[in-house]
Amino acid sequence: MLARVKAVLWLHTLRLWRYKWSFLNMILSYVVWMLLLMLGILLFVPHELLGETVKAAFWTILAWNIISQFSSLIGGWMRFFISIGMVEEHILRGMSPFKVIVGRVIPSFSVIVVSQLFIAVLLNGMFKIDVLVVNDPPLLALSFMMLMVESLSYGIVIAAISMRTSIPHAMLEILNFAIVGLLMIPANMLPSGLNILYLTIPYIAPAHLMKIATLRGMNMLYLEALTIALIESSAFSITAMCSIIKSEKWIRKNGVKAIGFW
Amino acid sequence: MGLKTLFKAGLMLDLYFFKNNRAAFISMLLWPYLVLSLILGMGTIFGNPESFKAKVGMEVDPIVYFVASTFVALSSIDVMWGVGGQILSQRWIGTLPYTLLAPYRTSVTLVVSYVPRYLLSISINILEFAPLIVIVSGAYQGVLKLGVLFLAATIGMFPLLGFSALFASLLLTIREESNILGWLNPIILLFSGAFYPAYLLPYWARLISQALPTTYTIELARTAALLSSPDLAHVTFLIGLLAGITVVYNFVAYLVIGAGERKAMREGAI
Repeated sequence: MLARVKAVLWLHTLRLWRYKWSFLNMILSYVVWMLLLMLGILLFVPHELLGETVKAAFWTILAWNIISQFSSLIGGWMRFFISIGMVEEHILRGMSPFKVIVGRVIPSFSVIVVSQLFIAVLLNGMFKIDVLVVNDPPLLALSFMMLMVESLSYGIVIAAISMRTSIPHAMLEILNFAIVGLLMIPANMLPSGLNILYLTIPYIAPAHLMKIATLRGMNMLYLEALTIALIESSAFSITAMCSIIKSEKWIRKNGVKAIGFW
Repeated sequence: MGLKTLFKAGLMLDLYFFKNNRAAFISMLLWPYLVLSLILGMGTIFGNPESFKAKVGMEVDPIVYFVASTFVALSSIDVMWGVGGQILSQRWIGTLPYTLLAPYRTSVTLVVSYVPRYLLSISINILEFAPLIVIVSGAYQGVLKLGVLFLAATIGMFPLLGFSALFASLLLTIREESNILGWLNPIILLFSGAFYPAYLLPYWARLISQALPTTYTIELARTAALLSSPDLAHVTFLIGLLAGITVVYNFVAYLVIGAGERKAMREGAI
């Protein structure tokens, strides 16, 4: 078991090193795109509100980064994995292909951490604002973990679906982009009742906890967000596990279809 | 094979691509509005239009301002990918040797087959934004603004073709497999003042922005956002400037891409 885990970790670390230029290219293009959009948004912000806005934007971008990297880098890798015939190879050797896919957490996590640190350094240099100062580090770590669990589960579910039918990659990117619009709505500005409904949208509750941990005056709906985030993360994990079992059973019966993302 | 055939081939390529890949077509229609909604939505949640006008230093309509920015930014990316990125995608799918050995020079094939695709793409984008601009500015002003946008995108294409051909030549020469255009494109847009005016950038960045054709295309497109009538003298000046840059970039590209093609043929860098 340990040897298999080591093999998966080694595979993804080695690939990360071998594709270092693509890795750097990915980080650089993500950072510049974010900066480009952020500068446009900040044109609307009065000087006195710049500090809190830059921080809010930074943490919203982090949440979005987690969601989009985990779904595209994990789910999207399935097409490559299928096309090189690795799904059958792993199943024949008694190893779940999904365990290999989960190892994509290594490049995804690396892209997220390095690109966010890069953005933080740039924002510090441009606006003299330290976006990394947080009010509640344990809560930030918890919200980060829950967001990762939800995104990872989502990545696995779409990877499992892509074993049986095609997944339009362009549509997934649009879905991820639409989520950032939802993430930026401040839950405490919504009317009572509607704010709870808003928190039940996937990813919103952990992202709200992230805002509580990093921004001032955001500690509303803490318990509600925590409860919803815990329930949602568990539901996401269970769905991912069921999808893996169902998909593997289906592959054993029908064989591997070379589909994946397109 | 005549140039007309190349032109037709380019057009048919896109039409069949849209027909066979509807998800990509729908996503192409959605992206401009998504980018626009993100900037305007986040901008109005965290700030206000008055602050925007004060920072920009002009009496402009933020909606038309960002429509112009988004439209030109997406059109410019289209050209840079359509010409420069073609080398990379043809290398990936294995058709680059055939293009290099075709009767026409690679640069001619890339540019002539791309132009109809570009015109189709900007026409779709302008039609997409037309209802929004007409609602915001009224029928007469709206049509005028759409005309300015179409003019900017069409004139702006010429220098950008040469500029992108330079990238194509670079990709041809350095045997680069990874996607360097991925980060070059947003950097070019950043320096051109795509979403943040170039005149607000630091001095060193402004120097770079002055050498980029996209800076003037964006400036020309943004005259559509002015609440007063655009200054015709300024518009004519920008058109003249873009014409001059077109000659320079296309001449340099003609020389450089020829050298790149010869090197690729000699060394088999395909």
